[in-house]
Amino acid sequence: MSKDRISINQYALMYLLLIAGGKFLNLPSILAADVGHDSWLTIAFSFVWDAVCLVFLLWAIKINKDSQLDLSAILSKTVGKVVSKIVLVIFFVMFVVRTNILLAACYKMFAVTFDVSTNWIVFVLPVVALSVLTLKLGFTSVARASQLLFGIIFICVVSLLFSPIAQVEFGSLLPIGEAGWGKIFSTSFLRSFWFTDYVFIYLLLDNVKVKNKVFSPVLTAFAVGAVLTVAMNAIFVALYGSLASQFDLAMSKIGVHFVSNSSNGRWDWLTLSVWLISVFIKIVVFFYCAYKCLEKIFEFNSDKINFWAVGAITLLYMLPMFISTEIALNTVVQYGLLVFALVQYVLPIAMPFLTKAAQIKTAAEKGEQPQKASADKVKEKIGV
Amino acid sequence: MYNIKKVFIFIAVVVLIALIAGSFVGEDLVGRAIIIGLGIDTCEEGVRVTAEIVSPASSGEQIGTFSKTVSADGKSLATAISRIAELTGKEASLGRCLIVIFGQNYYEQRDLSNEIEFLIMSDSFKESSVICCAEGSAEEMFNKGAAMSQGVSLTLSSMFKTQTKQTAIVTNTLLQYTLSQRSLLKTGYMNQVRFIPSNNVNTNEPDKAQGYFDLRNIAIFGENKYMCMLSDAEIRGLALLNADVIGSTFVCTEDDKQLTVTINSKNIGLSLNQDDTVKCKIELMGKVVRTDSGEVEGPLVSQDTKDLSPQVIEDIVKQATEDVNALLEKQREYNFDVVKLHETFRRKNGDSKQLDELATADIKVELNVTFKEK
Amino acid sequence: MKQNMLTKFMQATSGDEDVRVRKIECGISVTVVCMDTMSDDGKVSSYVLQPLAYINEATGLTDIYTRLMAGATCTKVTSLEKALENYSNGHTIVFDDDGNAVSVDTRTSLVRAIAEPPTSMVLRGPREGFVEDVKINITLLRKRLKTPDFKYVNISVGKYTNTAVSVCYIDSVADKAVVDDIIQRISAIKTDGIMDSSYIARYLDKNKTLLFRRVGITEKPDIAVAKMLEGRVAIIVDGSPMVLTLPYLFMEDIQSPGDYYENSTMTALSRTLRFISVLASLLLPALYVCLQVYNYQIIPIKFLITLMNASESIPFSPLSEMLLVLIIFDILREANLRMPSAVGISLSLVGAIVLGDAAVKAGLLGAPAVMIGALSGIGLFTLPDNTLVLSLLRLLLTFIGGTMGLLGVTLAMMAVIFYLASLQSNKSPFLAPYAPAVPQDLQDGLMQDPVPSMKKRPRSISNKNKTRRG
Repeated sequence: MSKDRISINQYALMYLLLIAGGKFLNLPSILAADVGHDSWLTIAFSFVWDAVCLVFLLWAIKINKDSQLDLSAILSKTVGKVVSKIVLVIFFVMFVVRTNILLAACYKMFAVTFDVSTNWIVFVLPVVALSVLTLKLGFTSVARASQLLFGIIFICVVSLLFSPIAQVEFGSLLPIGEAGWGKIFSTSFLRSFWFTDYVFIYLLLDNVKVKNKVFSPVLTAFAVGAVLTVAMNAIFVALYGSLASQFDLAMSKIGVHFVSNSSNGRWDWLTLSVWLISVFIKIVVFFYCAYKCLEKIFEFNSDKINFWAVGAITLLYMLPMFISTEIALNTVVQYGLLVFALVQYVLPIAMPFLTKAAQIKTAAEKGEQPQKASADKVKEKIGV
Repeated sequence: MYNIKKVFIFIAVVVLIALIAGSFVGEDLVGRAIIIGLGIDTCEEGVRVTAEIVSPASSGEQIGTFSKTVSADGKSLATAISRIAELTGKEASLGRCLIVIFGQNYYEQRDLSNEIEFLIMSDSFKESSVICCAEGSAEEMFNKGAAMSQGVSLTLSSMFKTQTKQTAIVTNTLLQYTLSQRSLLKTGYMNQVRFIPSNNVNTNEPDKAQGYFDLRNIAIFGENKYMCMLSDAEIRGLALLNADVIGSTFVCTEDDKQLTVTINSKNIGLSLNQDDTVKCKIELMGKVVRTDSGEVEGPLVSQDTKDLSPQVIEDIVKQATEDVNALLEKQREYNFDVVKLHETFRRKNGDSKQLDELATADIKVELNVTFKEK
Repeated sequence: MKQNMLTKFMQATSGDEDVRVRKIECGISVTVVCMDTMSDDGKVSSYVLQPLAYINEATGLTDIYTRLMAGATCTKVTSLEKALENYSNGHTIVFDDDGNAVSVDTRTSLVRAIAEPPTSMVLRGPREGFVEDVKINITLLRKRLKTPDFKYVNISVGKYTNTAVSVCYIDSVADKAVVDDIIQRISAIKTDGIMDSSYIARYLDKNKTLLFRRVGITEKPDIAVAKMLEGRVAIIVDGSPMVLTLPYLFMEDIQSPGDYYENSTMTALSRTLRFISVLASLLLPALYVCLQVYNYQIIPIKFLITLMNASESIPFSPLSEMLLVLIIFDILREANLRMPSAVGISLSLVGAIVLGDAAVKAGLLGAPAVMIGALSGIGLFTLPDNTLVLSLLRLLLTFIGGTMGLLGVTLAMMAVIFYLASLQSNKSPFLAPYAPAVPQDLQDGLMQDPVPSMKKRPRSISNKNKTRRG
């Protein structure tokens, strides 16, 4: 049994954790600076795009159920090896930049909120060590761990988000659309870099175990994650008003209202630590994806960990020591937005057709109809 | 060879762990000056900060004494706090600060913007902390700790967070105050804390100060500068217009007997009419107060459902209307807005320069107060 | 050539002080050989010597084998190795002059009485426990599995010990592939000797688990049978009262033998309590240290004051203090296992009073640290089979918490969970039914359904027949 197998239910839960993981740090303040109290609308529109692309991607996964082709194979057989590698390079850059931004936000969270002062290298190295452990143990371990921890993370997120409900005046979100609908729409595209968390499944296309339902579990998880994110933004902006754009650790700010009596202690930090697990899971998943991109690009042996690749990614994670995340983000928006949009939005829509074409081509190469997957994959009762 | 490789890996891991472990900087509890209350006064140098610090009890000290106050001067709040660190020999930690008190000499003469900015932007400082001003100096206020069993900061923060909601005392947190100073008319309020001394009947310690804190007074600030104090009627009006507090009381006369009615719930609605008049609707619900009542439906509430006469109800409405009007009049006089009249405009029409420049005196308010016995 | 078997046998056993040889004429000349220490004199006499002594017209060893041997277990022996093995196990070997041999089971039963095992005591339920004899252990299983589907395969392991290992399973329930795999792995063991079932467990554990074992252990026959009924395989090793079960899930550590004999609601509460106590044992010392050093803001003010009062005069840092407390506790635990019972009480007093109370009064350790260390130590024993592993993890987490704060504790716990999630035990995920989620198996997870409603066998365990009750 491959150690990187993931079931659809696990994918759904991981996707929900990834949505909750990255968007509650500095995204709310960035959007508040862009569109003020209409940031929740921007997020809602971004999720609409995500939903459309997700449906196509799930369709592709369903088509690929029996053939279990990986992304590199699908693209090589349809658009050529060169384009396939270019796409993988784009994915690699995207995963590395997103991870850097997440790491920077996490670092700030620990340094500023939790008052754990250390330097960047010493902060990143243990996280990288955890990611390398994941490579060794296999993605299945992350998927199972996410299933195990999902309940407690979800409870902590919900309790943190809804604890200040009594103090929130949702009326301060009025009037709706004050920033201008054009600006709200355009911001949802400009900030698309923060969304499309479903992309990690691209690097696991050949390892997705599909039994019965494909769409309902994932779309349900997506809907819940989207609602949580929109609600979180609305609560944050309603609570902090004009200060929202200046507080870039939204989750820790919301958590302040967790305990009514000041003498009780910051118990919200314990729930925050549990929620941070989802952020670390996201970082680990993106590290894994970046590594897999390098593996496919340079075609090295997938049985052993290639420490050159690990070293290269680790070095890239040191970039925030030299470039501020704000500059990195602005650069991404300026130069990379359209390029990333290709893989974030265009590729999922094309995936079902590319998958089908690759399947037909594979069958033609074998000289027979598309076969069922090998016996051990199909007959596995338990394994993911 | 295999063993040497294992040894090298082991050494490398140990060195790495030691390096990583040594790179995280922390401090023991005893090495920290944990500030639970901060007082800010003015002085020659600039800012005089008085910090109430958690201090372990020494043997011989009475039970309950767990804090001490330290004062230091500096050009700014930050430098004064770092002086406190020098004086105590410990790292000053603001993460558990419960209350910030501005002394009278400070807030009446100076702009609080720098201090508010310093506190609100500090990630470890909770924006849900209480912020208030003092009658007299903040240093004197903190030195009343001997009169309190829990120390000044704990006592005050406990009063602000738990007791005020039921006793018609409006309060403000740092976050709410800061937001009020930044948006629309940029006006807001702070509670003024007064220490009311009482007679010391303890013959064992005749010199020990006795007394209690009064939080009822409200000071109005505009763009972090002191504007005015509210009178008793205006404070009552503010309490009536605040949806978070209950417990306002009205004394009425019926058949030559005095009746005290307390408000146990209310609905407040602010909306904008077509002609840009703010419609302010206050629905009060209350009961007659009796001292022998049980815990059902809250303290001091009558268990009998005594029907209040229409005259009493009318009297209550009249008193409430007078109090609210007193506040609204004061708002017009001094051009401040603590009841979100401007917010009502903003929610309908959005932010605009005209709204920022709209004087409170130019806002017409249609007030409608009703009372129901419940 | 055939003559050589007896000669070779005598050569192999030459120098043995406890070899007993008798030549008997009973129509043919036979040589009776047995080991004095391993065979029962009475059985030798009544099963072998007496029948032989009273005949004088046997025509051959086959005649003796079919007509005269009184022992219930009587087999022909065709090889020297088998003869030596049976002889070593207490059988009596009867050789004729042609080198043929017959083996009669005359083993002495040197075994302790069946009693309640000290590691699995219950308030309700059977109190029988396995003993060191493989036959008796199989009998204890047979008592509860009165079905021809109960099968077992005997394997001899160990060059010098020739330890009998029996692989037991229920034919219509267990996955044959798993059974065959286990038999193959045991058969492939090349070693001098097997002292205990834990030796076999090390060989059965694929990939050599670093921390957590992946082979179950039980001393109770009712538990072993219950596990076999779910599709597991039981492995009995001669000389050990610990019976191994495979596959093994982490959830089994949280289950107690008495759970199935109590009310399911009480069982659910007990299991939840065990789980929480284990988590608390692992995390409390780490959190105690890291909150003091890095995140004091989490601690409520009044508790903060208590901690400051307690730690003001302590000469150690919070990390050193807590590590000291934990190490002292571990030393006490180890000493307690090894000390003679005569000095047990005195040493407990030394541990409790001198190390605990006196250290606090002298200002060397803080009372909160001692209390947390003790609470954590006691909590470990809710999972008695994993005490050492959890103790080690606890030390590691405390060190990490004291040096890296909440970041370190979070990452360390994630690493442990990832590691556990990656483990498999014979096709069964180690953390099933929670990771991966197997909804049907949650009936016997932390929450336990009443026994009558457990109609299906667990899906986490590979088995043939998913429905209980046929």
